[in-house]
Amino acid sequence: MTETSDRGEGPPRVAQLRPGLWDTVNERYPGSMIDKADFVPLAPLRKPLSECRLAFVSTSGTQPRGSLPFDTVHPVGDYSFRRVPTTSRTDELEIHQLKYPTASANRDLNVIFPIDRLRELADEGVIGGLTENFYTFIGYNMDPERLERTLAEDIATAISEEGADIALAAPA
Amino acid sequence: MSLQYLKDAAAAGDPEKLIRYVRLHFGDGNEEAGRREIDKAWVEALKPLLDVPPTDREFILETIRTRDPATLAHLFFHLHFYLVQRSGEWIHDGNL
Repeated sequence: MTETSDRGEGPPRVAQLRPGLWDTVNERYPGSMIDKADFVPLAPLRKPLSECRLAFVSTSGTQPRGSLPFDTVHPVGDYSFRRVPTTSRTDELEIHQLKYPTASANRDLNVIFPIDRLRELADEGVIGGLTENFYTFIGYNMDPERLERTLAEDIATAISEEGADIALAAPA
Repeated sequence: MSLQYLKDAAAAGDPEKLIRYVRLHFGDGNEEAGRREIDKAWVEALKPLLDVPPTDREFILETIRTRDPATLAHLFFHLHFYLVQRSGEWIHDGNL
């Protein structure tokens, strides 16, 4: 979905899929924290999926065993992220998050953090490959400005540095 | 509830909005459950002291004396979850 500028100059401008998205969220969660008027464009795929290196971003709180646990007790949230090497075995990972049911994910991590499935898609050539790391954080954060200014920007920078062409973001 | 909502409540001296948020946090969105969790933590804090065992008061006093209020408040939240987990009644779906 693209729009060319009125004067036909410059690159085509990509349309926002749902301009009223934030209004919808705020209707559903009265008094929620989302107040964002920025243009959020769709990002069209620039090359075939089979040539794209994929980064996976998850709010599941999955992290390498032995790394500093996410701060699940802080009343305002944890604005840090963890790198999860995409070569990790699932038994090398664990979940630290209070705010969603983790019982099934503890039995099979792939239901929330599909690291094996994504490796399979890469091995089969469905996607071009994976970034060196996947990125995780926990989704209980009360300060959306801080979330955007630090955590989101830091992850976006890290993913770009790993040469990602596409990112799959999965809220838990 | 937004962070600004909580900051405004703190600035206005409105503890009811703040404690309601704490209850919702401890109760995973259920205020009444959160209220019970707060009670549970205090009960669990009381139990180990009933026999008046020796405790490391030097550690406690040194910690309070040398650490900043934010770290101590953060520790307080940690202790809440430590105590409710110790109770064996874990209402949360996930892991610390």
